[in-house]
Amino acid sequence: MPDLKQIILDRDLNPYHSFFAAFFAGLGELGMLNQGSINIVAKRAADYLYAYLDAKQILPEMSAVPGDTPAAVIKNLVLYVNKILSLVGEYDLQQTNDDQVVLLITGNTCRICPKGVGGAAVKGTLCPIPSLLENLLNRIANRDIVQLITSGIEKDGGICKAYFKTSL
Amino acid sequence: MAQTLSDQLNVVLYNFERNVPHVEATAIVSTDGLVIASRLPDQVEEDRVGAMGAAILSISSRSGEELARGGMRRVLIEGDLGYILIRSISEDAILVALVGKEVRLGMLFYECKKCIEKLSEIL
Repeated sequence: MPDLKQIILDRDLNPYHSFFAAFFAGLGELGMLNQGSINIVAKRAADYLYAYLDAKQILPEMSAVPGDTPAAVIKNLVLYVNKILSLVGEYDLQQTNDDQVVLLITGNTCRICPKGVGGAAVKGTLCPIPSLLENLLNRIANRDIVQLITSGIEKDGGICKAYFKTSL
Repeated sequence: MAQTLSDQLNVVLYNFERNVPHVEATAIVSTDGLVIASRLPDQVEEDRVGAMGAAILSISSRSGEELARGGMRRVLIEGDLGYILIRSISEDAILVALVGKEVRLGMLFYECKKCIEKLSEIL
């Protein structure tokens, strides 16, 4: 079991972060949740979040202007989503080639990680962020602007990476 | 030209389906619930087969441990229209087969074992 008090303080968790991370972790440890099922349920979560943003009239403007790179446009949307949901503390989004971007999350700043925060003792990954972003960004844009290439995240040291194909 | 991993897996799945009448669809899934290779009909959603197959096997294994039934050999779900057979291939991969009601279960289990052995050699 991780040092919860330290994690809560270090990662600046709110009660919802704690709840979701522990909830996902518990389901994962029971064998009921895996990366494949998280990818599926994230689509439903994205639909509900979109409905929330719409109902509250806080949907962002799609502010792409000619000359903007895909990374710049998507970065703005990810910034907006993270501001609303407060998913991670530190991240970056970089363009890797003309139609591909990589999201780099500093693992120990993630607030909803079922393993890092929830303490799930399971093999593999249980990350909802890439598929949630894929579905929510596409809903906000009202077309498919990103497509998740990796099936979840790839761990690279303390960094969690998710690759997206872009089509603006 | 050398066969890709995907081609090799598909050949084994094809032979399994051919050798056992009423095996209608097969998939190889990672324990993360992600599909590695599959021979599924168009109307079956690959992502769901992967996620549910891995979850069913995982829950079954944990149930076997918790309830002192030992290691899990296979999961067979019987429905009104047929069976779902799930078996572990390795620590990281599982086989899911959708099978018609008319199948001979002895033949299914025998050929499934052979199929798993072949897949183990490849993966």
